Amino acid sequence: MSTVSLRAPSISPATAPPRRRLLTRLPAAFALLPTALIVLIVYIGCMLWTVRLSFTSSTLLPKLDWVGLAQYSRLFANDRFLTSAENIVIFGFLFISGCLILGFLLAVFIDQNVRGEGLFRTLFLYPYAMSFVVTGVAWQWFLNPGLGLQKLVRDMGFPNFTFDWLVNQDMAIYTIVIAGLWHGSGLTMAILLAGLRGVDNDLWKAARVDGVPTWRVYASIILPLLRPMIVTATVLLATGVVKLYDLVVAMTLGGPGIATEVPAKFVMDHLFERNNIALGTAAATIMLVAVISILAPWVYMKYVRREGRHA
Amino acid sequence: MSDVIPQGRRPRHLTPARIGVYAFLITAALFFLLPLWIMVVTSLKPMDEIRLGNIIAWPQALTFEAWTKAWSSACTGLECNGISVGFWNSVRILIPSVICSIIVGAVNGYALSFWRVKGANILFGVLLLGAFIPYQVFLYPLVRIFSMTGVYNSLLCIVIVHVIFGLPTMTLLFRNYYASLPIELFKAARIDGGGFWTIFFRVMLPMSTPMLVVATILQVTGIWNDFIFGLTFAGRENLPMTVQLNNIVHSTQGERAYNVDMAATMLAALVPLVVYFVSGRWFVRGIAAGAVKG
Amino acid sequence: MRLKKRISAYTLAFAFASTTAAFAQQKAEVLHWWTSAGESASVKVFADQFTKAGGTWVDNAIAGGANARTAGINRMVGGNPPTMMQFNTGKQFDELVSNELVRDVEQQAKAGKWRELMPKPIVDATVRNGKFYAVPVNIHGQNWMFYNTKVFADAGLEVPKTFPELVATGEKLKAKGVIPIALGGQPNWEHNLFRAVVVGHGGADMFRKLYGARDQATVKSSKFKETVELFGKMRALVDPGSPGRNWNDATALVITNKAAMHFNGDWAKGEFIAAGQTAGKEYGCALVGEGGGKLVIGGDVFVFPVTKDKAQTATQDKLIEVLLDPTSQIEFNKKKGSIPVRMDVDVSSMDTCAQKSHAVLKDPANQVEAMEMLSTPNFSGAMQDAVTQYWNNANMTADAFIEKILGAMRDAS
Repeated sequence: MSTVSLRAPSISPATAPPRRRLLTRLPAAFALLPTALIVLIVYIGCMLWTVRLSFTSSTLLPKLDWVGLAQYSRLFANDRFLTSAENIVIFGFLFISGCLILGFLLAVFIDQNVRGEGLFRTLFLYPYAMSFVVTGVAWQWFLNPGLGLQKLVRDMGFPNFTFDWLVNQDMAIYTIVIAGLWHGSGLTMAILLAGLRGVDNDLWKAARVDGVPTWRVYASIILPLLRPMIVTATVLLATGVVKLYDLVVAMTLGGPGIATEVPAKFVMDHLFERNNIALGTAAATIMLVAVISILAPWVYMKYVRREGRHA
Repeated sequence: MSDVIPQGRRPRHLTPARIGVYAFLITAALFFLLPLWIMVVTSLKPMDEIRLGNIIAWPQALTFEAWTKAWSSACTGLECNGISVGFWNSVRILIPSVICSIIVGAVNGYALSFWRVKGANILFGVLLLGAFIPYQVFLYPLVRIFSMTGVYNSLLCIVIVHVIFGLPTMTLLFRNYYASLPIELFKAARIDGGGFWTIFFRVMLPMSTPMLVVATILQVTGIWNDFIFGLTFAGRENLPMTVQLNNIVHSTQGERAYNVDMAATMLAALVPLVVYFVSGRWFVRGIAAGAVKG
Repeated sequence: MRLKKRISAYTLAFAFASTTAAFAQQKAEVLHWWTSAGESASVKVFADQFTKAGGTWVDNAIAGGANARTAGINRMVGGNPPTMMQFNTGKQFDELVSNELVRDVEQQAKAGKWRELMPKPIVDATVRNGKFYAVPVNIHGQNWMFYNTKVFADAGLEVPKTFPELVATGEKLKAKGVIPIALGGQPNWEHNLFRAVVVGHGGADMFRKLYGARDQATVKSSKFKETVELFGKMRALVDPGSPGRNWNDATALVITNKAAMHFNGDWAKGEFIAAGQTAGKEYGCALVGEGGGKLVIGGDVFVFPVTKDKAQTATQDKLIEVLLDPTSQIEFNKKKGSIPVRMDVDVSSMDTCAQKSHAVLKDPANQVEAMEMLSTPNFSGAMQDAVTQYWNNANMTADAFIEKILGAMRDAS
């Protein structure tokens, strides 16, 4: 089940007496201490602070009064927030699965000893380096029916060609997915490529000797070996989904209407544009609760219950 | 099919399978290049031509003016010195932040995946959850914390902030990478009497090259492109280049010079792009395999 | 916050004592969001004047109002504020006043007779508890209609004066293959268009009752429904590529003769100027509405964070002088596209649109305060959400939209 099931069983303590075990672990504990402090002060502290503010009536500056669940009842009566929640599910599913598939294919194909590997790798990665404020404008122009693809194809002599997803309320969210794939699949490729390069050469030799077809090697041997990398990539992509903001602002500003609104934009708008910290933090709290309820069982199973990697 | 196995020398002849490989890569490259094409041609046009709206067309009046302007004379407020102003600030923020956050992440990942420290996994769990909170939520309390401790608005402050927010992803990256390495390796090192740091520096770090590359890509990009933290924590003297970039491309009521915007964006991305390209040679194969032998 | 109160009392005591004292080094850090080429040129006017007066202007420009305001407020809270900081005229800085983070400038206001020189909506939007807490520097008209003179001449049509006329003219233009209205299809510009229709067709009173008093009876009235329906008809006058478009791209459609009309604030003149066009020649500006049209006015102000440093307070005083100096006012506003906040300066050297603004505002009945002055950012935002949904969904009825507005009124504090 876990990334470690392939691994040999636990080792270290068997040889050493208990007292020495504790001493040898001390440096590890020390190494983790700064992280522990940061987690306690910054992460847990800020989470609690956020949750606390969501029960107040704070506007421009935080204040610590108490209004109970008033912000939450407002939030769930707000159709923009509800649309945002729906959009993030659509986007999250398509974006994560799309990036993983495209990223894996790119990594595998690049790993075929091709000419110009460095060039291809950079080409697939470059979107990740660019500020979305402006690349979003380029996408917006390209997807605009009057300027981009639709106009070009029509000018080529297909007057009935229509591609107006960007300005169509039902389809606009998918244009965000397209631009998201463009932006994010390069990084997935890099992570999986690093994983592929970590695969033991002997494995390939053995498979070759046994005459196993390449695709089967990938499907039944390599893919399971890459599992930790896939998990890493998925988590990274998922954090991107939850924080999705720039892309939407650059391409649609949540429009047409509220068709492409997303939760992080709701939070941002209310925290900074609309001087409504309380409602913004309430939305952030709901996001947090949603993330915890999706992740907690997984994190618990995978990391907490199994102390260390090999327990 | 054996020719698709990525070993040995590059095949001399193009087989159908290899043509397929290149066809896929080139098609994908075209999709990735599309917006870049629009940006490049736009950056080479004068504004009059851009207003006409032929976004794909090659410029009729080719000019590099926008590029020089973006670098050295576009207005970003009172000063009109382009984005070059913040370049060295960005470098000064980038180098310590990237190095520190990667080291911290690698040590954490190593401690988490090979050593049993009580409660460490709960720590990791919370850290992972923290990665999902929008950064903006942290701004206000962090400003308060930093101004209490007196490091607010300094280079040190911005480096600390980058290390803090790099923690979840860096730890995750290295923890999972080390989890995929054979445990026998660690066992052997322990039997040889290696301590925590010895094993880390002698055994683990040398084997981490591919992940170090990925971590560098992630952090260089993230920190170089960061805008909101630099703006909030770096102080006026240390403002990174993204602040100038943002000032050029993102004005609510001001008129807009798209050619300069596009050129500025591409210029601002040069450092990460160079890192991507150069880092390639460290994307080496089979280090793990070689080290495990015996 | 109690501590802050004490600190501010202390600093104020010193502020009065030190205004006359001369300080060799008057270094002012100014935080604002004017970063485009035209805006930079306008900031330079203030900076140059301040330098001439012996000060040193340290510019801190951060594009995007929300970014700049957040950065500034964080610094005030962190105890390291800039010397002077930009806000929009209106309610954005209410809480800074109530938390005593910014100082009042009542002394200067009294001495300079600001209450007499400036239009009443601007005064009201800057005064809290009977004292000026900010220095207004300009007036932006927000509901101008820019039109392409050639497109109208070629079509043989008159520039519409009222919104029903505009809809009729728009349909004729559309039949001729011209885009009648160029719109940046982003929620705030859609909302800006809506406000232009409310003021122009529904009247100033309806506008104030909607955004200021949040009067439900007004929203339920038949006149409001008529206004909303008129706004709904304008959906058909916009090209299909509008959603998501930047306002600059919309202005470009008018500049390149592809579109006839464009509603925007007077800052849009910057795009026409950058394209080498002149007001009154290639393009014109008009106010659409019953009885010649009213002008919705907003603008920018500077606030002065409370500081313990006497020298800083003196520097702030010097800045205030510079901002409202008649020469700086004219030069600044020429470059910014707005008009001077002082009604006593001679505007004959400005462009025809600016002169028109100034003339319209001479009559107080034509002055309508902008949404930012009437309404909290939160209610404005809720209205924007409602407007963008109505605008982008041709099937949504006026009644459903009105229902949404009533919801926003009940809900947004």
